[in-house]
Amino acid sequence: MTMGEKPKKKLLVLYASQTGNALDAAERIGREAERRGCPASIVSTDEFDASYLPHEEAVVFVVSTTGQGDSPDSFKAFWKFLLQKKLEKDWLQGVRFAVFGLGDSGYQKYNFVAKKLDKRLSGLGATTIIEKGLGDDQHPSGYEGTLDPWMLSLWSTLYQINPKYFPKGPDVKISQDDLIDQPKYRILYHKQDKLESTLLTDSDIIQRARGMSPGKLYKDKSKPDCFLKMTRNEVLTKAGSTKDVRHFEFQSVSSTIEYEVGDVVELLPSQNPSAIDAFIERCDLDPESFIIVGPRETENSGVNEEMVTQLPIKLKTFVELTMDVTSASPRRYFFEVMSFYATAEHEKERLQYFASTEGREDLYNYNQKESRSILEVLEDFPSVQIPFEWLVQLVPPLKPRAFSISSSPLAHPDQVHLTVSIVSWITPYKRTRKGLCSSWLASLTPEEEVHIPVWFHKGSLPAPSQSLPLILVGPGTGCAPFRGFIAERSVQAQSSPVAPVMFFFGCRNKDTDFLYRDFWESHTREGGMLSEEMGGGFYTAFSRDQPKKVYVQHKIREMSKKVWDLLCGGAAVYVAGSSTKMPSDIMSALEEIVSEETGRSKEDASQCLKGLEKKGRYNVEAWS
Amino acid sequence: MDSMANQKTVLAVTDDVVLPVSSVLTIMAQLGNERFDPLIVTQASTINQFPLDSSSVDAVLAISKTSDFPSDKICGEFSRILKPGGTVFVCKNLEGQVEDMQQTIQRRVTLAGFLEPQCLDLKSIKLSTFSLSFGIKAKKPSWKIGSSFALKKPAKVLLKVNLDDDLDLIDEDSLLTEEDLKKPQLPVASGCATTKKACKNCVCGRAEIEEKAVKLGLTEDQIENPQSSCGSCGLGDAFRCGTCPYKGLPAFKLGEKVTLSRNFLEADI
Repeated sequence: MTMGEKPKKKLLVLYASQTGNALDAAERIGREAERRGCPASIVSTDEFDASYLPHEEAVVFVVSTTGQGDSPDSFKAFWKFLLQKKLEKDWLQGVRFAVFGLGDSGYQKYNFVAKKLDKRLSGLGATTIIEKGLGDDQHPSGYEGTLDPWMLSLWSTLYQINPKYFPKGPDVKISQDDLIDQPKYRILYHKQDKLESTLLTDSDIIQRARGMSPGKLYKDKSKPDCFLKMTRNEVLTKAGSTKDVRHFEFQSVSSTIEYEVGDVVELLPSQNPSAIDAFIERCDLDPESFIIVGPRETENSGVNEEMVTQLPIKLKTFVELTMDVTSASPRRYFFEVMSFYATAEHEKERLQYFASTEGREDLYNYNQKESRSILEVLEDFPSVQIPFEWLVQLVPPLKPRAFSISSSPLAHPDQVHLTVSIVSWITPYKRTRKGLCSSWLASLTPEEEVHIPVWFHKGSLPAPSQSLPLILVGPGTGCAPFRGFIAERSVQAQSSPVAPVMFFFGCRNKDTDFLYRDFWESHTREGGMLSEEMGGGFYTAFSRDQPKKVYVQHKIREMSKKVWDLLCGGAAVYVAGSSTKMPSDIMSALEEIVSEETGRSKEDASQCLKGLEKKGRYNVEAWS
Repeated sequence: MDSMANQKTVLAVTDDVVLPVSSVLTIMAQLGNERFDPLIVTQASTINQFPLDSSSVDAVLAISKTSDFPSDKICGEFSRILKPGGTVFVCKNLEGQVEDMQQTIQRRVTLAGFLEPQCLDLKSIKLSTFSLSFGIKAKKPSWKIGSSFALKKPAKVLLKVNLDDDLDLIDEDSLLTEEDLKKPQLPVASGCATTKKACKNCVCGRAEIEEKAVKLGLTEDQIENPQSSCGSCGLGDAFRCGTCPYKGLPAFKLGEKVTLSRNFLEADI
């Protein structure tokens, strides 16, 4: 920058994304800004130093709120910084901002993260560009229903504030036949003879492929923690059940297994080999070519030297390990790019329609509601030939799937056990779809000796010490981590005293989906961790065994005296399971108990439980 | 009872190399504990188990300059060797940010089963070889295994919401208005064109159309010899309209039999 030259106006888009939706929205905002001539940088809040905020001129925040009202993990440290009392009321003076939230109005704590952020930023002296936008999953078109009009308002207001933001004007007429965006990645192809002669291990290959992938999140480890092989595949549900729940056991084939009870393991699923072949053929790619994937140079980034020294990987392997072609659905932008590369007129029209505002609902019915895969979409539009660079950017990344571990390192040394419900559903058009990872696991046999790459990490359930009394609530597959807790405590009890455990389990029918029945019942007998004499108990709710629905929260209420006694004795509450409503139902039941036993109001009881949460004595692992 | 009846036992433990007895005595006196019999263990960061019986000491004093000590495992050991009702003191000598460390230690002792963690300011304690910044004090519950739980602590204790943890942060819930806290309104559909299906008490006729479409299973003839007046049915789901009878089936050529799809994630029928 030479003297006298004013810096170009630019936009900072800070996003806090848990499952990638806020990231999509942030990328969309960035793209729209760039189309109007304003450079934008898109940065996650866990990669941005909050103390630099006062130096920014214009910031757009895109933040998600989860069902329980929580912020994404990537937002927590950033938010904590902003909450500091020591920040002055004018700390962000001169900073213009706008907040867009992604949430679901079906939940009480609707878009709480965005609402609080908007308020706090104003409280710190920053100026709003426009009022906060609240994206809503309940809206027929999802968050995009709100985002589109909100963005138009954002651009026109920003232009009014200073026309220099958009040298091309705030309204951009994009001719449908031009694709003015460029792919964010480029591919380097390598000749066969330039290859290294050493053989790569599976671990090296996975690390190399996933390290190059755009889907790699900042804090992910590309190299698996270890490889597991399946030693047992047992069906837990009995005939007559509508569900198929499996008990899987695994052993390591690489390094030693290290985890604690309550931890989570992530598995990278394999994709159907014929599907991979079909995809590669459909896209006219050479599976045997060797490639390096890296970011394209832009005026901001310059030459990427890293790419020159990176080592290549086979194209087919890259597709297998990092590009989800049979399971995840593409996003709206994929259809937009496809329309440019369609040669058949009717296909081009249809794709442009799907990418437009008018076509959003039809796109939703065709794509998201039917869970269309990339391969299916490409086969439905046979004239489209997309360059590989675009495919790398737009094909959803193959994601590892997380499961709560149901074994204990003490009770089951060198093993990992999982309790998995095989996912299967029927779409509105009556097509049957299956979950990628659960179906693949169900199809494996120990004889095949397939090596599964896995990563271990902490979940929301910290391992309790043996002297901590426990109140465990785990209906359905939620019982999985607690099988580990109880097995562990059982071993610990052999050498020193252990505290009591109350375990509340629920399922539909005693006869068909009473998971691990023998295990729990063995612990209710003399000396067991759930026995009366040890101060604990095992309580079951079979929702469909009688005309009236009975759930775990009803059983908790039945045992209110004992639950209260245990809480007074210092017990911690752990809740796990797959329902979206269950955790709040449990919280309500406990609030009622506290309120009754102390004679205080429901609000006070709620505060009390919030206090327990802050101290780590109320932990919830809820999965969908 | 033996002559040591009045003497309480305390285990003083550190991950450091030395810990002078005089320092232990000074700290314990400052913390309000007189007349006791100290046992000192140094370089304790890798200890698996203390050579002490369960429920044998009255108090544990853990002193450290590092953030990792005492670990979860060692806190568990403290819990084991302490008598019911006994007290643990975790004293730290740390520079800089202490709030995070205070919270971490409080959490650790809570998960190890201790109750009522409190934060103490220890900067004023005068010691010869080192100084302390803060300490966490907590109690081991006084119930015993096998005894019934007649213990009913006063309600006040459980309801004490400890805001000391976040002294330096504003209360984020105060950022919400009354409006925000009300149950949100689900978006009102503006006309039924935007809803995914007809309303329950549909009057515009949309419900009838949708019902017909659902009932329209395909006839054998439609499968063997598919025709399409609109011309789009054969192109696949992407081109079919909402009421198309061929919805869900793969693309086909007019007049040629419709086959089952080769969907790789379809359940085996």
